Amino acid sequence: MNWQQLHALLWLRWRLARNQWSRGGQINAVISLIAAVLGLSLAAAGGLGGFLTGWLGLASVSPLVLMLVWDGLIGLFLMFWSIGLVTELQRSEIIDFTKLLHLPVSLRGVFVLNYLASHFSLSLAILLPAMAGLSLGLTLGRSPGMILLLPLALAFLFTITAWTYCLRGWLAQLMCNQRRRRAIVMGVTFAFILLAQLPNLASNVWLRPGSQGGGADPRERAERRARDRQARERAIGLFTTAHRFVPPLWLSGGARALAEGRVGPALLGTAGLAFLGALGLRRAYRSTLRFYRGGDPSGATPAPAKVPPPARYGGALLVERRIPLVPEEAGALALANLRSMMRAPEVKMALSLNVVIFGIIGVGLLMRRSGRIPELAEPFVISSTVLVTFLGLLQILFNQFGFDRDGFRALVLLPARRWHVLLGKNLSLLPPATVVFLAFLVMMGLLVRPPPWTLAAVCLQFCAGFLGLSVAGNLASILAPHRIAAGSLKPTRVKASTTLVMVLAQMVFPFTVLPLALPAALGALFEHLGWLPAAAVNLTLSALLCLAAALLYGATLEPLGRLLQRREQAILLVVTQEVE
Amino acid sequence: MMLAVETSGLTRCFGEVRAVDCLDLRIEAGRFYGFLGPNGAGKSTTIKMLTGLLAPSSGSMRLLGQELADPEQAREVKRRIGVVPENLALFDNLTAREYLTFVGRMYLLPAAVIRDRSRELLQMMSLDHEEKKLALEYSHGMKKKLALAAALLPNPELLFLDEPFEGVDAVSSRVLRDTLKRFVQRGATVFLTSHVLEIVEKLCTDVGIIARGRLVCQTSMEEVRKDGSLEERFLAAVGGGQAEVQKLSWLED
Repeated sequence: MNWQQLHALLWLRWRLARNQWSRGGQINAVISLIAAVLGLSLAAAGGLGGFLTGWLGLASVSPLVLMLVWDGLIGLFLMFWSIGLVTELQRSEIIDFTKLLHLPVSLRGVFVLNYLASHFSLSLAILLPAMAGLSLGLTLGRSPGMILLLPLALAFLFTITAWTYCLRGWLAQLMCNQRRRRAIVMGVTFAFILLAQLPNLASNVWLRPGSQGGGADPRERAERRARDRQARERAIGLFTTAHRFVPPLWLSGGARALAEGRVGPALLGTAGLAFLGALGLRRAYRSTLRFYRGGDPSGATPAPAKVPPPARYGGALLVERRIPLVPEEAGALALANLRSMMRAPEVKMALSLNVVIFGIIGVGLLMRRSGRIPELAEPFVISSTVLVTFLGLLQILFNQFGFDRDGFRALVLLPARRWHVLLGKNLSLLPPATVVFLAFLVMMGLLVRPPPWTLAAVCLQFCAGFLGLSVAGNLASILAPHRIAAGSLKPTRVKASTTLVMVLAQMVFPFTVLPLALPAALGALFEHLGWLPAAAVNLTLSALLCLAAALLYGATLEPLGRLLQRREQAILLVVTQEVE
Repeated sequence: MMLAVETSGLTRCFGEVRAVDCLDLRIEAGRFYGFLGPNGAGKSTTIKMLTGLLAPSSGSMRLLGQELADPEQAREVKRRIGVVPENLALFDNLTAREYLTFVGRMYLLPAAVIRDRSRELLQMMSLDHEEKKLALEYSHGMKKKLALAAALLPNPELLFLDEPFEGVDAVSSRVLRDTLKRFVQRGATVFLTSHVLEIVEKLCTDVGIIARGRLVCQTSMEEVRKDGSLEERFLAAVGGGQAEVQKLSWLED
């Protein structure tokens, strides 16, 4: 191993990260400086805190509590580690090994150097001192045998970094294909979002106490409480058993065994984790070698090269269709943009937020044990589908040109009227918004079973919301555009003012859609006062709201088109600027 | 004689740097104009300003007799020009045929015309076998060919091409050169930038040379040939002819 090369590689990694931050402007530089100081402070505090906690705080706790403390630390580390992994996947490979192979280093050398350089991460810098401090503190506070936690923790980190490196290498090889790359980034990000929501779902499904439901007699409630307690005990038993079979938990399991005076499980855990780490590295190296020699990363035998089939020029394309009553240019742009969005993983990711919300709300409502929703609240619950629908579309709606990147250059070059461009962009978002809205509506309809009048009113509220938010979205897209990196939802090189607009838009959003709840609220009030039936008021006011939104949209489209024309070169500069 | 491109005092500053400095271009319609210059001389900045991708800091521009300062006239003139910009202008998630269809519709061409021209263009550029491929999966050369096809699709009167042959294979390059020649023979104008002097020498009827943002030479190719080769003229114009051969210390030992 050449230390000078390792040093150069670590410097390169640091420099790339630093340049990326510093290019974001002075505010970004200040933020990065604060983050670095904070990171170092956290590392020092983690080390010292871990030591003091182990020495003084955990000296006399039960082995089970000690295990849970280590579980928490492992969970924290894995969470930070996963966030880092997802972020790096969303960037282009930070140090691609193919960029180093022309240098005077062997493949094995590049592999080792790159693996060592992959340890240069904030999560490791913060949590390694904490783990080491905790191990040493426990050694002083409890017994000298606890020192075995130190090699066990290092073996744990070795396993995680080795298998992460293996996974990253495998994904990087698969991602040589651009289309597959974006699908992988989307899949990993989505899996991560779902994983982060698992505790929420689990608490909704399994851990929600059944005793919340009212109406039962005391004996029945006592029985239910006993059942819940048994279920909790079963879950804890399962969790403890998992420490024997799930490798990342061998660390906390080892800590418990050491606290109980058993050295064997800790030693076995260290050996097992070290073995698994070595296995991960070996696998990573073999797949790297296969990739270098031209094999398929999945290990499959490559198929012989296919002779391209004769060109077919058949079926009609989606972009060839005409949209009735819509100007030709707006229709063409709407269909091309829709086609493009249907394939863009970043758009799918933005829409996947709806799936997550759908899942959480759906499961939450299905698992409710507190009886029927009050009749008065039903129209509001139904109207909330409109709010939830737009929540997932906000990022696209308020930054319509940022997803185009180089494609926006085509829009500037084309001889289309700019209000046609805005109209086309808005129309292209209508189908996904409608699909999401209808899915929510069906779900809510099945759960709440509202009368048809309420459903019709919500449909009108959706139209009003879409038109109103399109106006706001057009304005925000023109005034505060930001480039979204291909295949991710990550904004790049965002100015502080744009960030402010983004944050404000997210914060103000619930208030801007408040008028959509007015028809339901006034309907409930009128019925309460005995003046008019709620459904009739709700429907009439929703229709008026829709009309008002349509008038507002029509009146603002041309002025916003002119504003777009004036600002299109500035927008182009922002959305086509790439970062390393 | 009608002028296809006319600029007066065209200037673009980036902070302290004057990337294009008081450029006065006069290009007659029906000419094949080669716009040359060393790296960073201001070629792409000029094309960006002429095509509306970048606003000039000062000066005026007229294309095909229409003033670009007026937004309505600028939009109308865009119907009559085709552009292959430096960093292309493709939508990553569309196939070649979808992209050409989209461009054709934005130029308000009839559906049948778009279909026929797209088929011919894709065949000419050898992109017809890649119907399912998205633009993001294309190599740089293929992307360039697609951008060229899109620029030719509306049959423009004036074509701006920024390094059109860079990364394009020899076969397509040959086909493209022949197409452009026929294009000019029909009375259209081509404004082309390239670093390959041989291509410019073979194709162009007129050349302009820009260095450090200023137009240092504008003449016909016939005039250039009278005095020697284009390379000599270019080196003389940009000041490369007198430059001493730089020596590397470790090669001299």
